[in-house]
Amino acid sequence: MTDTLAAKPSPTVTEKPEGYGLRPRRERKGETLVPWVLMTPTLVLLALMTIMPTIYLLRASVRNDTLLNTNGRFVGLANYSNALTDPTFWHSLLITIGFVVVAVALEMLLGMALSLPLAGERLSSTWGTTLLLLPFAITPVVSAMIFKELLNPNYGWVDYYLGQLGLPAHIEWLSHPTTAWIALIGLDVWQWTPFVALILIAGLQSLPGEPREAAAIDGASTWQMFWHVTLPQLKPFIAIALVLRTIQAFKTFDYFKVMTGGGPGDSTEILNLAIYRIALQSFRIGAAAAIAILLLILLSLLVPALLRGVGRNADPEEA
Amino acid sequence: MATVTAAPVTTPPSVRKGPRAKPLPVIGRIAVWIYLLLCMVPLVFMVATSFKPSGIAKQLPPAWIFKPTFSHYVQVLQGGSGTSVGFDRLLFNSAAVTIGSTLLTIALAVPAAYALSLRAFRPRKGLSSWILSTYMFPPIVAVIPIFIYAGKLGLIDTYPVLIVPYAAFNLPIAVWILRSSILQIPYEIQESAMVDGASRWMVLRKIILPLLTPSIATVAILSAILSWNEFLFALSLTRAAAKTAPVGIQEFTGMFGTDWGNLTAAATIIAAPIVIMTLILRRRIVSGMTFGAVK
Repeated sequence: MTDTLAAKPSPTVTEKPEGYGLRPRRERKGETLVPWVLMTPTLVLLALMTIMPTIYLLRASVRNDTLLNTNGRFVGLANYSNALTDPTFWHSLLITIGFVVVAVALEMLLGMALSLPLAGERLSSTWGTTLLLLPFAITPVVSAMIFKELLNPNYGWVDYYLGQLGLPAHIEWLSHPTTAWIALIGLDVWQWTPFVALILIAGLQSLPGEPREAAAIDGASTWQMFWHVTLPQLKPFIAIALVLRTIQAFKTFDYFKVMTGGGPGDSTEILNLAIYRIALQSFRIGAAAAIAILLLILLSLLVPALLRGVGRNADPEEA
Repeated sequence: MATVTAAPVTTPPSVRKGPRAKPLPVIGRIAVWIYLLLCMVPLVFMVATSFKPSGIAKQLPPAWIFKPTFSHYVQVLQGGSGTSVGFDRLLFNSAAVTIGSTLLTIALAVPAAYALSLRAFRPRKGLSSWILSTYMFPPIVAVIPIFIYAGKLGLIDTYPVLIVPYAAFNLPIAVWILRSSILQIPYEIQESAMVDGASRWMVLRKIILPLLTPSIATVAILSAILSWNEFLFALSLTRAAAKTAPVGIQEFTGMFGTDWGNLTAAATIIAAPIVIMTLILRRRIVSGMTFGAVK
């Protein structure tokens, strides 16, 4: 055993073992069958949870089924045209995209601002990452419940301390569209900026130091150093954080359900919440299915970015 | 030599750019720490209120000096706290679903990851990409058909109806983490073992699995966190018997306002295991959540 290991240390020997006779026959037998057998349970389950629902919803979206009566009839593209001519659908779509863009942009900027000072020294890095990990580790529903109580206009700490600082207090945060949005985006930023910052800190700490040293010797200013050296080096990490956060933000459900339930009115009813309400509270499966399919089309535009960003960096075979 | 190289580096920039370049990082550093400390306010509120006697919980200005009480924790853990299903029962359900889905994730992901690492397996690249791409699949889209079929099969409000979808949605991360660690094991070791007569099963058991243990631990913790925190499926597919803690905690907000003591004690109990695990395994968790793209 040890002899064979020691006898063939060079990769050129193992690279072309076709001549050995022993290996090809033995491996070819199981070559196609064994991997497929090992893969099957995973592929079946993933298909069951992604492809099957898609097929089901495609079928449901051209029928007028309800939750109580799944024997509705074929209605063609009526559900789609209803959705696309309904201003509430466009409102939901618009605020969904708005939420994702604003929250993710803030998280990227803040995460970048946090990562630069924290990546440097060992001590501040240790303490800084500990503080970063705390909000990141809280169960999202729990964060939403805690934020809701903190924003309570009668007893909440936020209004009390704003008042102490001489700022407008006794705001009914979740009763007005603007302040409800500030609260929701604030919650998302509070919880997920650390994720971005931790990715960028890991990135900064893995970068080679030479380009920055060379720039320092050439007398680059802090800003020049950041813009022309650090930022280009950090690009792959920024891409990963951006793609993952965008996908996660599109899936957000808990914060909205717990904090506002889509209200006041329908001012914070993002698509996820609209689909949930139409399907499981109004029981209109066909209408919800059409919106779900439209959301799926929107999200699948992100797949190439995901595969490029994550695939290239996480896949050792791509190197 | 040292003085020669040091002179041109320090003198010109430190005279001209030094004063302008330095203060910004200092102010930036202070701002960063202020931000980080401000972010602790919700957590301080949560933990402090959970130990406050009921009478002063909602007092303003917030009471900072008080005799800590464990009564909320006792009340919540004994199930007598106002939720329709006792909170102890909710925690038990959460734990059962988390353990079940984590075991299922590992049982499915290890063989799949091994198959996707075999060089002779041609479609491995396409399949890996497809598995990764299912990460973007929004759970809200899956929940409607699952709700309808689970209803037809009488599975609503059971453990399997949560365990199976949780495992499915954990699979992309699990398979990718495991596959990239298998690919880091030199292929030559596997080959020479097989030349020496080891079967594929023996290679998997004696060589790959022992080297894979740390990654399996990462996968287990990540899928446990994701399952423990999950809300949408638990909300839609359970009523009482299998209801989990994140769904049940909402009931602390009732018609007569919220009992802050019990709510924050329950919130702390839900959050604590994840916070502790995350702090211990910080790097692994961040790395895992990026599918191993960040080391």
